Amino acid sequence: MRKPISRLIATLAALSLAVPVAALADVNVCVWGTITGPDAGVNGMSYGTVDYLNHLNQTQGGIAGQKVNVLLLDGRYKLDEELKIYRRCVDQENAVVVKGWSTGSAKALREQVQQDGVPFISETFSSEVLDPVKYPFLFIQGATYEQQMLIGLRAAQAAGAKKVMLMHGDVEYGRAPVAVVRKSGDIEKMGLELVDTIEFRYDAQDLTAQLLRVKAKNPDVVYIQASTPQALVILRDAAKVGLSPKLFIGNMYNIHPSIPEQLGAGAEGFRAIQLYSNYGDPVPAMKEIEAYKAKNQVEKEDLYFMKGWFTGKFIAAAIGNAIKKNGGKPPADIKAFRKSVRDEMEGLKNLDSGGIAPPSSFANHQGPTQARMAEVKGGKYQAAGEWVNAQ
Amino acid sequence: MFVLQVATAGIATGSVYALIALGIVLIYKCSGVVNFGQGGYVMLGAYAAYALTRAGLSPPLATVGAVLFLAAVGAATELLVLRRMLKAPVVAVMMVTLGILILFRAVCLAIWGPDQLAFPQIFPQGAVQLAGIFITYNYVAAAVLSLVLSLAFLAFYRFTSMGLSQRAAADNSRAALAVGIHVSNQVSVAWAVSSALAGLGGVLLATLNGLSLTLSSIGLVAFPVIVLGGLTSLMGSLVAGLILGMLEAFTDGLLTPALESFLRAHTSVYSVGALQQVVPYLLVGGMLLVRPQGIFGQRGTERV
Amino acid sequence: MRARRLAAFVAVAVLAIAGSFALGRFGAYLVHAVAIAATGALALNLLTGFCGQISFAQGALIGIGAYTAGNLGNAGWGFGALLGGGIAGAVASVVIGLPALRLRGLYYAIATLAAQFVLEYLFKIAEPLTRGISGMNISPLKLFGFPLVSDQAYAALSIAVLTLAWVGLAAVMRTNVGRAFLVVRENELVAKGMGIDVVRTKLWAFLLSGFVTGLSGALVGFTTRLATPEAFALSLSIDQVAMLIVGGQGVWAGSLLGAAFVALVPEAIQRLGEAFHAATLLSAMREMAFGLLIILFLLFEPRGLAALLRRLVRGLTRLAAARNPPASAALTASRYPATGGSSEKAH
Repeated sequence: MRKPISRLIATLAALSLAVPVAALADVNVCVWGTITGPDAGVNGMSYGTVDYLNHLNQTQGGIAGQKVNVLLLDGRYKLDEELKIYRRCVDQENAVVVKGWSTGSAKALREQVQQDGVPFISETFSSEVLDPVKYPFLFIQGATYEQQMLIGLRAAQAAGAKKVMLMHGDVEYGRAPVAVVRKSGDIEKMGLELVDTIEFRYDAQDLTAQLLRVKAKNPDVVYIQASTPQALVILRDAAKVGLSPKLFIGNMYNIHPSIPEQLGAGAEGFRAIQLYSNYGDPVPAMKEIEAYKAKNQVEKEDLYFMKGWFTGKFIAAAIGNAIKKNGGKPPADIKAFRKSVRDEMEGLKNLDSGGIAPPSSFANHQGPTQARMAEVKGGKYQAAGEWVNAQ
Repeated sequence: MFVLQVATAGIATGSVYALIALGIVLIYKCSGVVNFGQGGYVMLGAYAAYALTRAGLSPPLATVGAVLFLAAVGAATELLVLRRMLKAPVVAVMMVTLGILILFRAVCLAIWGPDQLAFPQIFPQGAVQLAGIFITYNYVAAAVLSLVLSLAFLAFYRFTSMGLSQRAAADNSRAALAVGIHVSNQVSVAWAVSSALAGLGGVLLATLNGLSLTLSSIGLVAFPVIVLGGLTSLMGSLVAGLILGMLEAFTDGLLTPALESFLRAHTSVYSVGALQQVVPYLLVGGMLLVRPQGIFGQRGTERV
Repeated sequence: MRARRLAAFVAVAVLAIAGSFALGRFGAYLVHAVAIAATGALALNLLTGFCGQISFAQGALIGIGAYTAGNLGNAGWGFGALLGGGIAGAVASVVIGLPALRLRGLYYAIATLAAQFVLEYLFKIAEPLTRGISGMNISPLKLFGFPLVSDQAYAALSIAVLTLAWVGLAAVMRTNVGRAFLVVRENELVAKGMGIDVVRTKLWAFLLSGFVTGLSGALVGFTTRLATPEAFALSLSIDQVAMLIVGGQGVWAGSLLGAAFVALVPEAIQRLGEAFHAATLLSAMREMAFGLLIILFLLFEPRGLAALLRRLVRGLTRLAAARNPPASAALTASRYPATGGSSEKAH
């Protein structure tokens, strides 16, 4: 008697959570990111998109007059959590656009989003999910990690570097781009020598011994394929062993106010790749953000927030076009709506992002592919060089 | 030279491990409980010091305040939670301490958020060059403080009357009771001291590696330390902590590069990954097979 | 009596299987997540709850099941891939357990912790077998040539596997080996004195629990379609132990209750809290709830939800009996014979 009862209770509990929640005719956008987790420091991207859509709701009544329901969820950088959220977004929330986060989840879902026919934007810059022909529903935002790495190394070479070392975390986001660049031979083609590659535990707090290894090999530049939290550890431990921050170049995810804030002089000269304007730069988009900030709480005031704001514009433009093409109302059939939005995304030309990034088209599913170096000078990131096109 | 530099890094982190492991062994000796949640106290200590500096105290005072706060928290957990679990089986007690760890992490997450924070400077910035080895003041301070405190604690345990009471209670609680020692008080004292040590360890670790929630995973490193040193030996924690700190540093600094250059030259394997995490546990596995009571521990007797 | 119980049990299972096809995708996902976790918890229950051997290596064992089944499935095996996962789990479990046979209690737990870390490392390194950190893409399971793609199908399959494992393990407990588990749990020396071969008994426990864990892992692989080392880390082992504690050790229903609780309560908190728009706080609250649950259950109801529910049911029937005339009171009394501690252990 006891067994079946407890079985029933458990099944009922599960069923009660299975009822779809969001109505079909609304415009629903689902965003997830690492709100709490190893790379939570860069979650301004998620907040930026959510805030932009809320901004539209507040100032213009939504997209093309339609209110947008935007949902922000915490993926915690755990694959099973992200996959669960994806299903919820597609099934229960009837999202017309889903924005994900990690490289791992983008790779795991790249076929799934085809089957589901859902336009999927990921924060990753991995080249393995970038293929307009094979993965027509997948979009990323900016130059790939590989492109960033080559831009960074090129800049170092221009300054006279010959010996290169690569450091990366032991996650997909760390390993894959480094492996791609290594195997392509591009580093050697540039005339540089790759002396060593160091893989470290992604959530390690102490990398002193690894940096001693760097010191022993004496490279001219070290490229970091990891996020802000890891850059903080690397630069801090570099100071412990007497290595200068000028030695290091990071990718797009290493521009964050906490680096100069927490490291002070230990961050001067550190360079990173910049794909978007920084928070506070004199661009038109900042006026919108200031207006939004006056009435709302802005969680993260950094470059990642700007990227998120940019993606918000991207999503809004595509959805807006899709609604207009359907005579001013969102299509009642969610599948058709999703397909239409996807087509609009791919067909976007010269998206005006208020100066966050150069006007870009998305036929390549990447959007803006320009990047420039930024360097920490006097406690702030300053531009160090011109915008270079990755392609 | 490189070897010495690596060894120095290892000694510094190893001495902090020793400090934290000391706390775990202390509680185990006194009450037979293994505090799987020690990492939580370490993390809490660092955050408490951070909060106190933000409230206006000077960094050294904030450290003292944090240590005292942690002692109180330790005694409180013993009184509120562990005391009720005196008759519970080993699994249950282990899981309760793990539950406390999870709870502390969640509380710190709720109050201070998931990002890394700027930990106040307690020791002067800068470094010193000793015999060609580059050592920052932080490292020196962490190593010296941990070692001094560990030794002081060992001395206290051995030579003072309070230490004697602790040892008596740890050795044979019934006999201690018979002699008039208030055993449950001793257990609370053990928890308070252990948490205080953990809190101090947390502050030192934060000066070295920054302040974030990941401080709590230090507890997992402490386990190989106590297995190696012996669950019942305080001296063992000290020695094993230093050994393991150096082992980690040597694995990262010497073994991994050597292995990787060998593998890269002869096979298509490019990386050995985070070897430094696994090596202590391999050592633990070996130790448990050969000498489960550790280097300094004593074989427990089986009570029928 | 037993046959009736079994029939009722199977009937509920069949109902649940049929019902899962009516669920939406998210609902089906939750159902199979719970069922798979419960299968793992069932295996852990055998090892820890019934045989007294603590294990923190569940996460890694589930991983072994997933990687093995994934490799076999990708190579074209159909249903056999599931069995392959189970066998791999059994072998791994015995391999972990063998060196630790001499260790007791705490030391054994630390040994399993060491095994968990070593296996995690191996998952990252053994690229030919596991594709390392990139993760292994797993194609859908093929049953009789038809690939299972929908979440609903997997929900049905997971419930079926759970039911089979449950019935199987409960049957084992009625054999001599099963009874030997109980004696070993209580006191190994006494067991030896009784003539029980403690080594063989423990090995059986490792084997059986490893097999069921491997099955659970195989299902994890097929439902997530991707096996990565991070998914099989210590946190999974801790989750499984938590399910056991919250649900109740030594009681089979405890595994399902614990799995449902640990998997669904965070989701429920998430939904409740979404009204308040505080994402970080929500995550913190989920963790807090998890930690508090563990502590509170261990303090106040160490025999878990199963025992709580039983008390509830007993309390309700006593209430019902009190309101009825004495004749039916006698009937209810016989349906719930006075059980003390013994029958609670023998489930």
